[in-house]
Amino acid sequence: MHIGTGFSQAMEHRLFRSMFEERKRVFVDLLRWDVPVIAGRYEIDQFDNDRAVYIVVTGDDGEHRASARLLPTTHEHILGTIFPDLCEEAPPRGSAILEITRFCLARKLRARERLELRNQLVTALVEYALANQIHSFTGVAEWPWFQQILGFGWTCRPLGLPTSEQGRSLVALQIDVDDRTREQLRASGIFRPVGLADLPAAA
Amino acid sequence: MSDLMAEITKAMGFRHYALVHHVDLKPAVRSVHIVDYPQDWVERFQARRLYASDPIHRASHRTNVGFAWSAVQSIISLTAADRSILAEAYEAGLGDGFTVPAHIPGELNGSCSFAMAAGEMLDHRQLPFVQLVGSFAFEAARKISRIHAPQSECPSLTERQAECVALVARGKTDWEISQILGIGQETVIQHVKDARDRYGVTKRTLLAIRALFEGQISFADVFGR
Repeated sequence: MHIGTGFSQAMEHRLFRSMFEERKRVFVDLLRWDVPVIAGRYEIDQFDNDRAVYIVVTGDDGEHRASARLLPTTHEHILGTIFPDLCEEAPPRGSAILEITRFCLARKLRARERLELRNQLVTALVEYALANQIHSFTGVAEWPWFQQILGFGWTCRPLGLPTSEQGRSLVALQIDVDDRTREQLRASGIFRPVGLADLPAAA
Repeated sequence: MSDLMAEITKAMGFRHYALVHHVDLKPAVRSVHIVDYPQDWVERFQARRLYASDPIHRASHRTNVGFAWSAVQSIISLTAADRSILAEAYEAGLGDGFTVPAHIPGELNGSCSFAMAAGEMLDHRQLPFVQLVGSFAFEAARKISRIHAPQSECPSLTERQAECVALVARGKTDWEISQILGIGQETVIQHVKDARDRYGVTKRTLLAIRALFEGQISFADVFGR
């Protein structure tokens, strides 16, 4: 796994630029999200700033396959800024809590590869949390994705009731990460060794 | 698990529940089936193998979010047979209810339903909460069935087998597949045979359907992008 700290630094690397390109293919072209596209090829929004952390999982060829963006909950983030109403109480904030956003699997992947890469990325996020004293992740998910997240077997709970309009449903969630999380992911068949050795070098 | 389901069902003001995977491919392996419906209805349901044609189950395959049974027509169009199934369920004492679909890639479709007795009113404002409870209930059942069924029992295909099966699903012959993948026809025949063996099926059609069902290939693999 590769870790990029901050937007400006990430944009200097080809790997992370290809992540922003893939984000455009996935979130704009495929999912039709109404989010900005820069230079006709990169999906970049106001949260892609120097506090954002990017986790990228590559294929054997070293190219982007899957990625996610982590935002500090102590500053502007999606749940706190755009969807606070999804939380029954105030959105969780703290230096040990990060928000997972833009969970992205490359469009060209086939079904089996998608599941494999999804599992690798989930494990990478957990390894990142464990290595950086992060105790919780928060996030906003559409309902089908929330069902998958719940199925990963880790400690996951909703922060409020799901909204529902026109067959679409959004829910805010919190995932707690601790020394049991790897075992929980192993039990549900999600856990993958993700090469933490890369960590210091890539950071 | 049944006790917990009974408790939450009562606490939410419902009379009946059903937490089920929709198809019993291999009974006892990885499939969830916890039901408290009127006995009369359960017997008729099983005797007539309605799990494949039940309009509520079918509707639950067309949506990802919870829905009220009374709104099923907004999801699928009902045939006369569907209407008579729903009428029979009502006669057997099953009133209106909510169904929360449980769809996860690589897993059988399932659902969690909560129902009132016939003649009782459903409180539609409960739906978001029921949707949460249903999903967590399904996840709990999934964890329990995992303990009883080790992972290795889930057949999975090799890269090459999956590629071949995706092409089988596209209607390609072994020769065509060999040309597309640039490998020998004999090799393709072997891959397809090995894949059939893994699922214990003899027909190519069934192989493609099973692989789709198990999430080893996806509709996108078949129809292209």
